[in-house]
Amino acid sequence: MSQSSLPLERAKPAKAPGGAASLLAMVGRSTAAMVVLSGIGFLVLWQVVSMNVSPVILPAPAAVFTAFIALTLSGELVYATLATIWPFAIGLVLGFAVGTVMGLLLGIFRPAARVLDPYIFVGWSIPNIAWLPLFIAWFGVGNLTLIIFVFISAVFPQLLTVEAGAKEADSFLVEVARSLGGNKREILYNVVLPSSLPYIIAGLRIAVGRALVGIIVGQLLIVATGIGYMFQFYGETLSLAKYFAPLIVIAVLAILLNRGVNWAERAFIPWKTRAFT
Amino acid sequence: MRELDFVNVRKSYASPAGDLLVALDDFTLTVDSGRFVTVVGPSGCGKTTLLRMAAGLLPPDEGGAIRLDGEPLAGPSPKMSMVFQGIGLMPWKSIFDNVALGLQLQAHRAKLTAEERERIAATLALVGLTGFERYYPHQLSGGMQQRVGLARALVRQPEILLMDEPFGALDAQTRTVLQDELLTLWGRIKSTVLFITHDLDEAIYLSDRVVIMSRRPGRIKQVLEVKLTRPRFSYDARAEPEFARLRHIAWQSIKEEL
Repeated sequence: MSQSSLPLERAKPAKAPGGAASLLAMVGRSTAAMVVLSGIGFLVLWQVVSMNVSPVILPAPAAVFTAFIALTLSGELVYATLATIWPFAIGLVLGFAVGTVMGLLLGIFRPAARVLDPYIFVGWSIPNIAWLPLFIAWFGVGNLTLIIFVFISAVFPQLLTVEAGAKEADSFLVEVARSLGGNKREILYNVVLPSSLPYIIAGLRIAVGRALVGIIVGQLLIVATGIGYMFQFYGETLSLAKYFAPLIVIAVLAILLNRGVNWAERAFIPWKTRAFT
Repeated sequence: MRELDFVNVRKSYASPAGDLLVALDDFTLTVDSGRFVTVVGPSGCGKTTLLRMAAGLLPPDEGGAIRLDGEPLAGPSPKMSMVFQGIGLMPWKSIFDNVALGLQLQAHRAKLTAEERERIAATLALVGLTGFERYYPHQLSGGMQQRVGLARALVRQPEILLMDEPFGALDAQTRTVLQDELLTLWGRIKSTVLFITHDLDEAIYLSDRVVIMSRRPGRIKQVLEVKLTRPRFSYDARAEPEFARLRHIAWQSIKEEL
């Protein structure tokens, strides 16, 4: 089902202009070409700026590339990435699961939500980092604390977004399901859950970002391993070319995760028509 | 037996100002087995309230009673199906799954038997939607969507069919076509129908009896027996002198309530 594109697109020019203008026009119509061109432009800009400042301020792209290869070959970057991914994944998956289930339940059992909402909101409002000394006191210095920190980072945005979605379930569709004989469990499964799916995905998008921040901050401050620690180490020793290697890993991870969420959105919400494509 | 009885049914709501607003009062009516009964009235006369109570979605005030085959109605009944003006298809379910939902919630069982799958296919064929099983509701026109709504109700093989202005949101041509289709379908299934509309033409054309309501608080003002022969065909039936006579009486009656 492809959606018709809206009249937001610029109308095509009646007569194709020649030379550079026509090349630009052609690129303007191709998303892939635009992505590649903007990437090249970014690298060129980086190179130009780095040639005019000290390498301590901004290393050249080539230096960063060399450092990235060296850190990969030595195994340091690979090990750090693995040490980062698994506690991140466990914390995020748990946060997503608990946040989604609790959000759905609180969305339909409103009296329970009225009791619990203040606690949840306080939990969400306290800056994550404020929990850290407490978690270290409770769970020690180790991966358990790290996972719990990632979990806390992910669970609140997921829970609040899903709860908001579940309680906005269309009352008319709920009544239709009731008229057909549906009980609370069937209504949850057939109406509330599917109508909350866009919110579940939106919550996931926020939770992923929060969990990424959580894992890096956690590694920096709790366990002194992984990508987070590489930031700290190469930052403090002013080895900026090497400092960029974990940055690239995080950037790639963030892009891949966002792609994953986009895929989930299309796969699980095929009925949604989109106004802008 | 599949008879629906209303005895002294009344429904009041608390208004925002705090006083009692009576939507429907003193409503006593027997919808006989296998008959097509339509309730018409000005907007705000409690028609939809009446149908929601009949569907078991809303309890009547103390003192009144709704009985299904003599038994007091205690909630939505698997013997009934309701068709809504807003249709209420689940946007996330395919046409097939939307119709299946009618069965699944009736039997409280998510898994469909082979016989049930066949019945869904047959019902979709009945409303002329074979081939659209895998479509989503938003890909269908309004008239086709209401056919799905009808299929979801009929697949339950209801003894009583409740219809709340089902064609109210459709254009005039589609509405006429669906009225004819409804009569054809009803000729086969012969369930008891309680139909709500504000369209006098539609009421007389479809029904055995037309119940005219007063303005709020809605009370029964007049009951007309429609003696037009069946099967009826849209413009032929509407051209009969009896149709014009009933329409005149109904209009005189309802005009005072507007």
